[in-house]
Amino acid sequence: MPLLEVEDLSVRFQTDDGPVHAVDKVSFELDAREVLAIVGESGCGKSVTAMSLLRLLPDSATITGDVRFDGDDLLAAPESRMRDIRGNEISFIFQEPMTSLNPVFTVGRQVGEVLRRHEGLSKRAARERTTELLDLVGIPAPERRVDEYPHELSGGMRQRVMIAMAVACEPQVLIADEPTTALDVTIQAGILDLMRELRERLGTAIVLITHDLGVVADIADRVVVMYAGRKAEEAPVGDLFAHPQHPYTIGLLGAVPQPETGESSSGEGSRRLQEIPGIVPSLSEPADHCPFAPRCSRADDRSRSEVPQLEVVRPEHRVACFHPGTEADAR
Amino acid sequence: MSTAAAELEISPRARRRARLRKRFLRRRLAVFGALLALLFVLMALLAPLIAPYDPARNDFNAVLAPPSGAYLLGGDDLGRDVLSRIIYGARASMEVGVLATLIAMVVAVPIGLVAGYYRGWADPVISRINDVVLAFPFLILAVGLAAIFGPSLTNAALALGISRVPILVRITRGEVLALREEDYVRAAIANGAGDGVILTRHILPNMVNTLLVQATITIPLAIIGESLLSFLGLGVQPPTPSWGVMLAGAQQFLVQAPWLALFPGLAVFFATLSFNLFGDGLRDVLDPRTVS
Repeated sequence: MPLLEVEDLSVRFQTDDGPVHAVDKVSFELDAREVLAIVGESGCGKSVTAMSLLRLLPDSATITGDVRFDGDDLLAAPESRMRDIRGNEISFIFQEPMTSLNPVFTVGRQVGEVLRRHEGLSKRAARERTTELLDLVGIPAPERRVDEYPHELSGGMRQRVMIAMAVACEPQVLIADEPTTALDVTIQAGILDLMRELRERLGTAIVLITHDLGVVADIADRVVVMYAGRKAEEAPVGDLFAHPQHPYTIGLLGAVPQPETGESSSGEGSRRLQEIPGIVPSLSEPADHCPFAPRCSRADDRSRSEVPQLEVVRPEHRVACFHPGTEADAR
Repeated sequence: MSTAAAELEISPRARRRARLRKRFLRRRLAVFGALLALLFVLMALLAPLIAPYDPARNDFNAVLAPPSGAYLLGGDDLGRDVLSRIIYGARASMEVGVLATLIAMVVAVPIGLVAGYYRGWADPVISRINDVVLAFPFLILAVGLAAIFGPSLTNAALALGISRVPILVRITRGEVLALREEDYVRAAIANGAGDGVILTRHILPNMVNTLLVQATITIPLAIIGESLLSFLGLGVQPPTPSWGVMLAGAQQFLVQAPWLALFPGLAVFFATLSFNLFGDGLRDVLDPRTVS
């Protein structure tokens, strides 16, 4: 049985300009120790999906569907149960390490607060455990850092503190919303290594929200590609990179710069970075056709009048497209 | 041990304090204000020790006497020493200043927290009532309330404190509205924090600076307010010395003995100025947005 089961998750925001269907019937599963990446452009609903799992969205959001975790339906559980789960059984790491720590308290106190709340540790025990955790996430001189304020730490160090806080109670699931986007590339690699290591050591399953396919290739086991609030494709990471089926996925992969093998980067053989033409559609109406059709070279009348459903095209590989296949297949 | 290593031994909190202190000390006017305010506070606390005479003692040779060696600031219509009465009068001013500010904070901050954090129906209800009360000028409201409560020092403090509540509710609410959107509040919620923890650990501590600055604005307002209420007979009652009471008594003798009005007036002026200068400096130092 999967650890986390999401079925037909839909999120609608009530805004001044009418409803916005940010997430439309998204389903996925997460097994223990698995790293699931959710990728897509800005505004495709990946962050909203992640936040809705822990009910962290503002009141203007209406969430429907099922999120099953450990015998609970997270969308129906009482708020008190959710508070027990948040930061304890399921943790969340946000994108902005610079501002996600309270400036008036030491980092030690903030990590300790989580331990004291969920594990009932004493002040002294929480401090000791916090020092261990800071060490675990690779912060040098943790016994000194524990008494420092957030503004005294660099962005990478702060993100490590955030991760220490997130794994403090050894959660079963870690949801990381673009954890490395705000950081330097060199620090990114360190954070990814850390997450991988934590998965090995603590057996934590990770949901990684990102738009960075390099990160996906680096760490993910399985990938969900989202487009306009819907799941476009889902596959094991190797299969997705080797045999992308959805034209949107192919477009995404084409938009990643590849290092040239030759000396010259212009001239013959150089490959232009492919952008995907058009813009992300408005989400004010639920889709009544393939949402990618306006930007898709494979679109036909059927794409423009019917919503494609997810179909299994290869082992464990599902795609929502009427004309799936790699570029080579399509020609 | 090298100096760099020695510096590492100092706790970050102490380092931050040292930095703030240094920044504050660079502002001469603020330091002047702080010292002057401290002087007034000491004057109030140590009145029996430093006042040359008992403020109620009558000397018939000093009736309406101009300033002299024996009576540095002159004598009033009942032959009492003006200087001693000003020193004792600082007690009423400081007491009301501090008490009114405390009352205002204790009432306003929780209301502002609820309005700003929970929104829902509480916010519009609180905010609209607040707007209505805000339509009355501070001193007018205080005079009205003091008239209802009856004349006494405590009631004057109560009236002034309550009159200051609406503006503090508005400021608190505004601050909470901004703070609740902070990433660290969102992160705390994601880590399982409840509303109580969010409000007391994450929102309130981050608005301490704002509240501190508001306190230094409220204290001088309450000092002026106390003088006004006492002047009108709604505050401290004679014969207890208070700057407002003294000003009221001086009215009839403005021509014969102008110093009777001048010196208590100057006391109110400087007491107010001192807290305002102090507060301005404090705001400059504590509010990172004003740092150039």
